[in-house]
Amino acid sequence: MKHGMIATGARGWRRATMAGALVSTLLAAALTSSGALAADPIKIGVPVGLSGANSVVAPSVVQSSQLAVDEINAKGGILGRQVALEVADDGSGAAGAQKAFDSLIFDKKVNALISMETSAARNAGLPIVTRGKTPFIYTSFYEGRSCNRYMYVDAWVPDQQVAPIVDYFMKQKNAKTFFLIGSDYAFGRGMLDFTKSYIEKKGGKVVGNEYLPMDGSDWTPIISKLQAAKPDAIITSTAGGAPNVTLTKQLRAAGVKVPYGNLAVDEGTAKSMGSDAEGIYISGSYVTNIDTPANKQFLAAMQKRFGADLKTPNDLSVPQYEAIYLYKAAVEKAGSTDSAKVIPALAQVSFDGPRGTIRMDKQRHTPLTMYLGQVQADGSVKVIESFKNVDPGEQCPSLK
Amino acid sequence: MLNLGLDVVTTAAILFIVSTGLLLVFGVMKIINFSHGAFLTTGGYASVIVTQAGLSWWWGIPCALAIGFVLGMAVERFIVRPLYARPLDAILATWGLGIIVGQIITLVFGRGVQMVESPVTGALALPGAQYSAYRLILVGVALVIALALGWLLNGTRLGLQTRAVIMNEALARGLGISSTRVRFITFCTGAALASVAGCLITPLASVDPNMGVPWIVGAFMLVLVAGSSLVNLAIASTVLGGAQVLVSTFINPVLGGLTIAVLAALLLRIRPEGFARG
Amino acid sequence: MADPVSTMTLRSGAGPAWRMPVAVGVAALAVIAVCSIALPTFLVNNLIRAFLYAALALTVDLLWGYTGILTFGQSAFFGIGAYAAGLVFTHAGFSLPLAAGALAAGLAAAWLVSRAIGWLAFYHGASPLYASVVTLVLPIVLVQGIYSGGEFTGSSSGLSGFDSFDVPLEAWFFIAGAFLTVVAVIAWLFVRSDAGRLLVAIRENESRCEYLGIDVSRYKARLMDVCALVAAAAGYLFACVQMVVAPEYAGFVFGTELVIWVALGGRGSLLGPIVGALLIDVGSAYLSGNLPYIWMLLVGVAFVVVIVAMPRGLAPLAVNALRRAVPRRRRIAPLAVEFVAAPARERDAAQTPRPALSLRDVQKHFGSLKVLDGISFDAHAGELLSLIGPNGAGKSTLMRCIADGAQRSGGTVEIGGADIRKLAPYDCVALGIGRKFQTATVFESLSVAEALRIARYRIAPPAKWKRDTTLELPQPALDVLRLTGLDKIPERECRYLSHGQKQALELAMVLALEPRTILLDEPTAGLTKQERTQIGAIFVALATRYRMCLLLVEHDLDFVREISSRIVVLHQGRIVMDGGVDEVVNSALVRAVYAGESHTGAASAEGSA
Repeated sequence: MKHGMIATGARGWRRATMAGALVSTLLAAALTSSGALAADPIKIGVPVGLSGANSVVAPSVVQSSQLAVDEINAKGGILGRQVALEVADDGSGAAGAQKAFDSLIFDKKVNALISMETSAARNAGLPIVTRGKTPFIYTSFYEGRSCNRYMYVDAWVPDQQVAPIVDYFMKQKNAKTFFLIGSDYAFGRGMLDFTKSYIEKKGGKVVGNEYLPMDGSDWTPIISKLQAAKPDAIITSTAGGAPNVTLTKQLRAAGVKVPYGNLAVDEGTAKSMGSDAEGIYISGSYVTNIDTPANKQFLAAMQKRFGADLKTPNDLSVPQYEAIYLYKAAVEKAGSTDSAKVIPALAQVSFDGPRGTIRMDKQRHTPLTMYLGQVQADGSVKVIESFKNVDPGEQCPSLK
Repeated sequence: MLNLGLDVVTTAAILFIVSTGLLLVFGVMKIINFSHGAFLTTGGYASVIVTQAGLSWWWGIPCALAIGFVLGMAVERFIVRPLYARPLDAILATWGLGIIVGQIITLVFGRGVQMVESPVTGALALPGAQYSAYRLILVGVALVIALALGWLLNGTRLGLQTRAVIMNEALARGLGISSTRVRFITFCTGAALASVAGCLITPLASVDPNMGVPWIVGAFMLVLVAGSSLVNLAIASTVLGGAQVLVSTFINPVLGGLTIAVLAALLLRIRPEGFARG
Repeated sequence: MADPVSTMTLRSGAGPAWRMPVAVGVAALAVIAVCSIALPTFLVNNLIRAFLYAALALTVDLLWGYTGILTFGQSAFFGIGAYAAGLVFTHAGFSLPLAAGALAAGLAAAWLVSRAIGWLAFYHGASPLYASVVTLVLPIVLVQGIYSGGEFTGSSSGLSGFDSFDVPLEAWFFIAGAFLTVVAVIAWLFVRSDAGRLLVAIRENESRCEYLGIDVSRYKARLMDVCALVAAAAGYLFACVQMVVAPEYAGFVFGTELVIWVALGGRGSLLGPIVGALLIDVGSAYLSGNLPYIWMLLVGVAFVVVIVAMPRGLAPLAVNALRRAVPRRRRIAPLAVEFVAAPARERDAAQTPRPALSLRDVQKHFGSLKVLDGISFDAHAGELLSLIGPNGAGKSTLMRCIADGAQRSGGTVEIGGADIRKLAPYDCVALGIGRKFQTATVFESLSVAEALRIARYRIAPPAKWKRDTTLELPQPALDVLRLTGLDKIPERECRYLSHGQKQALELAMVLALEPRTILLDEPTAGLTKQERTQIGAIFVALATRYRMCLLLVEHDLDFVREISSRIVVLHQGRIVMDGGVDEVVNSALVRAVYAGESHTGAASAEGSA
């Protein structure tokens, strides 16, 4: 009898100990697993045009994203968590963008989207961004006035890019009459419409405003009109890549020598145009020759990371690098990756990058330092003037 | 005014150069070779190869000729010949081939625009206008091509056989002409011509994997209207190309881009033989 | 005249033809409903798009795989439907009445454009190449129009950010899936019905269809109208669920992608385009991210390989593999068809003085070459008129000029007293003439019964949604079928018939038109001696018993001598003699015309060569 009672007692004690051990193990597991959750990477989705019209520039965008992520991870990540990059192909168009955004938001479940797109792709992706409530930093220059509760833009808009060229032509080249040529699409028309009103506001005159379809390559009739109109300067805004090259080649072949400002060409394309590009004026928020410590450090890091495979950083890939850092700052300020907290925080943080100080606090857009440059004989761009703190203007008045 | 006239003439010349290869293939084989754009592109890249090898641009022409001819041989043998009895399928297969060639070029050369130096730059000062020297040269080139092809077709035995096959293939075979051989040589020549055309337009266009695509629709509308005669092609190039220039200049370049396609479609509806004699 | 005919016992046919497709449709709807909740969101999103693309691919298959119209333009109609929604919702806002209005506008616009394309591309004598070119130009023009629309159409960026139906994603999945299922079931019911066989007939032999009295161009245009409406509806749904429209959805690259999907999946089948669209579109969503450059290359290579080596696509391969793997429990019997005599139709008695055929001064020239000059003669009911003459005399040309109003260069032709002016062949058939071609032109893929049913199209239009087990044929046609044994094999495919059987079938098809006049172009070519005797007896019976007027072109002078009631001799485009059999056969002029064949021995040797 006594045996039994002692035995029961011992068993009961053992049971209690075992139960206690079990509970504490579970508790410990729960605690460490939430710790394990805390070690889950923060995913940044990059839907970019690996195929299609943007495929020339996409590799440079991916490279600067990789550098940013590597640097951040080396310093401990964001809020103690590592950052992972998820790249998807948006085909540079609407259909591909829908698939890519879908895949990133609903399949890979990224915490944020940071990328450059064509306007068609961006417009197609925005409904999905809204449905997924994901913060989206758009890193490409564009025609302006695209607004969405979840989107910020850290690249330039026409209000920032056009003024330097027009002012320079009017002041330094005494240009009074302008001829505008563009590709017939939203960006081309948007840029030239703004240019036209800016020129007229400053007292100049637009003597011609012609457009060719986006895939057109025969500028002959427009060039003939241009020669008949005899303007003091030309300003163009064509679709990237081929139209830029065909127009420039044909202008040079026709012997056109007036000052030529190109709103839509980057250093890389200018290099591939060879001697035809010499003398073209471009305006942007980034050129590789920017003489600041931040830019020099950035270029050195890119060279070290990618070596011979390096794709020249440009006005589309550098904003990407800075946007990732801006996201990091916003998450740290908000204390979490929760959209509702990160979105307002993105307007309150800033980052000093290769382009200077970036702060997206002007109706979701950012004031920028703009550089006016001229393409040299060897294809490089020499900076002629820089304009600090150019305001983006009224882009999204409803989203103050 | 002179400018406009020169625009019309040079545009017609360029259209003619781009379309002759397609005309040859259509006339003999009665199929539209949708890979014509891909052959244009290979010609353009022939220029790139030549430039990268450090040679003068003019070497691009024989290079393009050779590449086009060899590629044409493979295409005719493996894709076009099996589809002899299925012309609509031949259109599709050549379109698919165009996609393949474009992708391969992208893999080898990359997606970007390639640099090719122009052999002749600058404008010629003419009374009343300045005009691009290269465009004027192309008018001469078009004439040379027309004369060369004309001589080939009318002055050689192979040309005679080709014309027989164009007119009545069954009868020609009945007379002992190997229509297979004629078709083979015709396709290769057409491909080579397309390639040379692609090389010739590089000073005026950008070289990228899709450079041939914008030319396809215009070229084959011209060929449909012209039937199988070189003279008709020249007329079609002048009339429709001229219309394109006029619409682009006086109305709007967007409509101008559509002019050739729309006008040709309407013309063929009213007169299915096009410019050929009824 | 009516013979009671009952040639064979009926095998038990399948039940009502609609049972199987509808059952499959309902089952599909059930599966879709379940999947809408069971599948992960990413896949659901992709499949919604893929379902709509698959419905679009189905329309391409109906036009191309079944009817032989290679079209790159279905994407344009899709784009029209999508932009109708996009434009209305962007500029006028969203509400139920506006949504209904947008749908109506999209459908109306698509229909109008389709009518225009139909006018351009489908007309008597149009080449299929030209039709394809027109369908290629359509999306190009449409896209340029969208590009130049500036802010209004959104230009190259498209329109987005507009409101749409507030419906959860799962419901959209069901709606898109149901749309595809309904379209597929209706298409299935149509293509396996009697009327649906006409699509195949048109693809195989358009000319024969025209000479059977079918206005092929109008049919094609109508088919395109219907497909355009379906495509526009798919586009409308697409815009509503995606809330974005862009020019690339209306462009010709998308149009050619549709063709590629149909080709790879399997053209001329209904499952093929659905499978092709679903697999490739969903597959690309998963794979193209990993292999952006190689993916298009693989698709391109697969496409070319399929077109060259496996034109029926990959689906038949899969289906065959499936068939071998899964033993079929029940063989689906080919539908047995019974031929019955059609009720005799009202005919003007032979008292009508008007001749069956009347030619006055008919001429035909090619450039400066005069092939026919001043041909004038009458032919009456009950006559068996043979047209003879050396090669190159213009006999076949004359036949063409009688049956097709657009062929001759001058003169008048009257069929049963009615002037044919410039009427197309199908209208001439309506006037009472039938033409049998020299080479047997039947429809290879169709069965004997199906071919005959197509021939009855004008008089007794085939059922649109089911398959009849009986086919009424006029007595002359039945006679021919019975005589040649074709009545015993109604379900055999025409490609397996012997040459003589094909000739007989074509004759039966022409007789099924109930013509008053028949044109026969070298009917004895390639026939054995016994078949020749048979067919001669048939011709005589047609003329004497059924009071038809027969016009034969023949080289076999023995045959001509035996059966004709009258002979017309043609030489170098002119009539040199027109009279009774004996008169002509014994004439010295005719012998001279046949230059060298001076006695009947050599003539019959030449005729039977």
